Amino acid sequence: MKILSKSNLVPFLEGLGLEFKVNAPLYEGQDVLFGDLDSLKLATDFIGKPRLSPKEYSFPQRERLFTFKNNGGVEIEAHLNETKRVIWGIRPCDLYGLKFLDMVYLSDYVDPYYQARRSNTILLGLNCNKAEESCFCSSIGTGPFAREAFDLLFTDLGDVFLVEIGSKAGKKLIEKQANLFTNATTLEQVQGKLLEEKSKKTFKTSIDLGKIKAKIAAASGNPIWAEEAVKCILCGGCNWVCPTCQCFNVEDIKAGHKTQRVRYWDSCQLGGFTQMAAMNSRATQAERLRQRIYHKFSYNPDKYGGEIGCTGCGRCIDVCPAGINIAYILRRVAN
Amino acid sequence: MAIITKVCDEAAGIKTFTLEFKEPEIQKSFDYRPGQFVELTVFGVGEAPISITSSPVNKGYLELTVAAVGKVTRALHLRKEKDVAGLRGPYGNGFPFDEVKGKNILFVGGGIGAAPLRSLINQMFAYRDNFAKISILYGAREPGLLCFIDDLEGWGKTENSEVLLTVDAPDAKWRGNVGVVGSLLPKINIDIKNTVAFICGPPIMIHFVLLDLLKMGFEEEQIITTMERRMECGVGKCGHCNIGKSYVCLDGPVFSYHQLRELGEDI
Amino acid sequence: MKRVLTTCEFCGCGCNFYLGVEDGKVVAIYPSVSHPISQGRLCIKGWQGHEYIHSPERLTTPLIKKGNRFREASWDEAYELIVDKFNQIRTRYENDSIAVFSSAKCTNEENYLMQKFARACLGTNNVDHCARLCHASTVVGLATTFGSGAMTNSINEIAGAEVIFIIGSNTTEQHPLIGDRVLRAIEKGAKVIVADPRETQLAKLCSLYLMHKPGSDVALLNGMMNAIIAEGLEDKEFIAERTEGFESLKETVADYTPEKSSAITSVPEEKIVEAARIYSRSKKSIIIYSMGITQHTTGVDNVMTTANLAMLTGNVGKEFTGVDPLRGQNNVQGACDVGALPNVFSGYQAVTDEKLRNKFEKAWKVTLPPQPGLTLVEMLNSALEGSLRAMYIMGENPMVSDPDINHVEKSLKALDFLVVQDIFLTETATLADVVLPGVSFAEKDGTFTSTERRIQRVRKAIEPLGDSKPDWKIITELSSRLGYRMDYSSPAEIMDEIAKLTPIYGGVSYSRLESFGLQWPCPSPDHPGTPYLHKGSFTRGLGKFSPADYKTPAELPSHDYPFVLTTGRVGFHYHTGTMTRKDWALEREYPTGYVEVNSQDAKQLGIKNGQTAKVISRRGEISLSLKSVDTIAKGVVFIPFHFAEAAANKLTAANLDPVAKIPEYKVCAVRLEKG
Repeated sequence: MKILSKSNLVPFLEGLGLEFKVNAPLYEGQDVLFGDLDSLKLATDFIGKPRLSPKEYSFPQRERLFTFKNNGGVEIEAHLNETKRVIWGIRPCDLYGLKFLDMVYLSDYVDPYYQARRSNTILLGLNCNKAEESCFCSSIGTGPFAREAFDLLFTDLGDVFLVEIGSKAGKKLIEKQANLFTNATTLEQVQGKLLEEKSKKTFKTSIDLGKIKAKIAAASGNPIWAEEAVKCILCGGCNWVCPTCQCFNVEDIKAGHKTQRVRYWDSCQLGGFTQMAAMNSRATQAERLRQRIYHKFSYNPDKYGGEIGCTGCGRCIDVCPAGINIAYILRRVAN
Repeated sequence: MAIITKVCDEAAGIKTFTLEFKEPEIQKSFDYRPGQFVELTVFGVGEAPISITSSPVNKGYLELTVAAVGKVTRALHLRKEKDVAGLRGPYGNGFPFDEVKGKNILFVGGGIGAAPLRSLINQMFAYRDNFAKISILYGAREPGLLCFIDDLEGWGKTENSEVLLTVDAPDAKWRGNVGVVGSLLPKINIDIKNTVAFICGPPIMIHFVLLDLLKMGFEEEQIITTMERRMECGVGKCGHCNIGKSYVCLDGPVFSYHQLRELGEDI
Repeated sequence: MKRVLTTCEFCGCGCNFYLGVEDGKVVAIYPSVSHPISQGRLCIKGWQGHEYIHSPERLTTPLIKKGNRFREASWDEAYELIVDKFNQIRTRYENDSIAVFSSAKCTNEENYLMQKFARACLGTNNVDHCARLCHASTVVGLATTFGSGAMTNSINEIAGAEVIFIIGSNTTEQHPLIGDRVLRAIEKGAKVIVADPRETQLAKLCSLYLMHKPGSDVALLNGMMNAIIAEGLEDKEFIAERTEGFESLKETVADYTPEKSSAITSVPEEKIVEAARIYSRSKKSIIIYSMGITQHTTGVDNVMTTANLAMLTGNVGKEFTGVDPLRGQNNVQGACDVGALPNVFSGYQAVTDEKLRNKFEKAWKVTLPPQPGLTLVEMLNSALEGSLRAMYIMGENPMVSDPDINHVEKSLKALDFLVVQDIFLTETATLADVVLPGVSFAEKDGTFTSTERRIQRVRKAIEPLGDSKPDWKIITELSSRLGYRMDYSSPAEIMDEIAKLTPIYGGVSYSRLESFGLQWPCPSPDHPGTPYLHKGSFTRGLGKFSPADYKTPAELPSHDYPFVLTTGRVGFHYHTGTMTRKDWALEREYPTGYVEVNSQDAKQLGIKNGQTAKVISRRGEISLSLKSVDTIAKGVVFIPFHFAEAAANKLTAANLDPVAKIPEYKVCAVRLEKG
């Protein structure tokens, strides 16, 4: 493990900026959002997670896939984004989210757009010393400290960052600016471990994952779905903020002789998501709410060898204007 | 890229398009199984999943039978011969073929749902000796909505094969059976133990025919049907067509009733 | 990616979010967690409603009508033609032969300039905007009772209320972030009473639901007040110290026994009494209302009666109380505040008041017309009748939003000259002689004022598309060419002028708006803004009890037209759908209109769910899909008005409230037939 003093963080990131596009959490007023590195706005001391995860650097809200030019014949021009990128400050929940999306998009038919972006992105994580009220990553096992899926992992020890190397790519970044790093002492490594234990005690929200795994398959008739769904206003927020939500819609937009095929994030909470000409295969909000929870805790795990499709970040709880709370719902399923 | 080489009216609001690929290498190498579908792009409008209704035994072209029910299909209906469309595929798992050789085959189709069945039926008829008795039960809401009339006639004339038709609401000229397609089931005489049934049509038709077949003594694995869901990417990524842990575009659209019951989501 | 914090262009909640800009295009949305109203949440329109900005159908050049078609023109050409025609008309007829239709979707600066243009340049007070069609009753009703026609308290107080009485508002669907506060209040144990002819989402979640007949609001509220007085639950201290006219109110409501009220409203007696008890027993009771009570020929009466109810129980002038009209559009509050109304300048300063008029004459260096101008529907009537010869419409689509569309069409076609300024070629723009391309909220700076009187910044994120211009620029250029010079280097300068002339906006400047805006009244540069009104004393001094008797709606069901049609909205579309119907996520949810019919009625009509129905009124007919529901009473049908191809307003009538001149969108008579 290495040590990077806090005063060296900005030089390190700016050094990276010579070779990569660097993204990090920034203060916009009092909001924290991932953005293009701006040392004046860099957020290093925030608690919890920015409202949107950094998945959009690999899977953007709106992405042009290709353009058809219809002049007599039809030409197709694809738009792949291969920007070399480093993202710093990714919370363990979001690291897991990206690992999950890698599993979804880089398997079977590989998604070339996701692959182009993701394969050129290096992930520098930042462990959480304190949980926010809605966080329950500790119940899922994805946080508050990360175990995997990072190139480098930073822990805030107070004056310095403890830096764990997770991959060759991460190691290379340190080697290129080796003068900024020192070796971590045993004491510092122990400090890191203690912080993790301390952090685990700060959680206010939790779920019993074992019980849920056992009971979920049989819970489709549970009254909880209809009870909660009646409040839903179909804003889709739970999907927009979720680090593992993967669904997208494709539209063709015609302007003159050109048509662009564009994909957008989609939401399974919207009725139109499953609308067909003759009928809607999930016509009630109760079914859609159940789909969201099941997709994360039952269907995706079944499909992907047990990997839970929820990072426990709790953003869906924070973003809901109707107070629908996934932890509460899962508690009802478990009991 | 594919060129529309023929457009013909199949039934009221339903047209059959014949397409040939522009690129000869693709035309030669494009192979598919009955029950698979393609994603068809109408340039400037959008893309839609359409079942292939022609059979792989007919090389050199594809046939797609399409009802004008949405933005893309309505635009497609305005296209003419020589117009260019985009195709990608084939996607989906296709019907079992080799696995059902030697058996009696019962087809139950409704309306335009017969499109993928036609692909399988014609493929089976090209290898007729491999299958025992073939019974085709087909119905539509009204006579004007019956598709594939020429094929139906031909199939009925083949040895050890029967075709029974029905409509829900007859017109003045209709002389055949009146009622839902399930009402034709009592009229056939087959050895159920050695029969595989293929059902394809509106969800409500499938629902009731399923119940009828189970009552008749079919086992869950003997009943094959296709599921329809809103599809976009066709390759199991966009998330729209999932039923439980399966994607209709990857693990389907063909499922046995037994598989459907294991999917984990109400259907 | 650039991130620009701005205010939402849709409802009156006034959420803020960041527009993500890449390569000059808006490609992403980020909520603002620190924003006091939005708090990091948005509704579907906020999240997915912005694709229209880059729609290929955006107007990018001026258009001039030639025969039946439009041809592209330069700005010079377009301006010259307008100047020519306006001057012709002004010379031949009089100043009042031209009318200006301003936009509740445009910024305060633009609305201020529009009314200044009408008054200083064209010399007419014929300026109005769509508040006329939605909350004109509020402006009149609350001004009469309280002295100020705006939401009395703030959105963030709602979650702290003990009782919330919602009448005529489908809050979770139409003001989602206010619905959010109501739901939080429920979680904390608050009692919510919902009165609505349709069983809305909140009606399903509330403590007490009253399904009252459309138009029977006065009877319901008077019935509640009758019960309150009968049980001695009124706030005698508040009435004595802070109000006048109580005896007159007492006399009027004495008539409305629970029995009589129940007979008129169809609400069971016990429920009326229970509602009265729940509301009056708390000192933290809030009334929320919206179009459900304003869009009636008795709109003003309805609003005054809610104010009466609040005053009766002392539930106004303190935190966690109040009368909260939910303004629909992003800037309908602001458009009213800055004077885009025929009878007042900015700040509700009457044009007839000589002293106030002189103040504006001095500031604007021109003599101003002293007589109030025409309201919206009156403008259209005058057009048809011939006294109005030209109109300049900005950001409005009366061909779908105004009542009695066939009449609207005839009126607009009767004009000699029509100028429409918009971002799309709307149904109204299609009738214009000249179309000017304005810009969306993402392409200009300015301010919007939300329903809780919060003035917030709208920040430019991308350049105007094609050859389009910010609307404020167009108005200044047109005005200057017509002889009244307008010269502003930026919208900030326009706001400075507004602040100088408008006491309630007196302390507003762009530098003070940087941190989530200011709530007016904000009379001076060091004033922090006002979360709730009427503390200690009402704006007019004492609150005025303004009793009203129940009057029937103008057009009641009859043998030939046996159903009551009530119109309204869905949460996925906005106004006439000119923007939202170009957003895939919203259009996919509601691709077209429908008529909600009680399931028993549908059965009797022989029309199944999803089949086509023809809905016919004395004014027109439309065909659309039928939705069989159990959330509406027998004899009542509902149609959302967003869809031009199934325009509810082809059926509605321009029956107006006599004072507010607001149309009775919520009640007219129709019959249904199989389509």
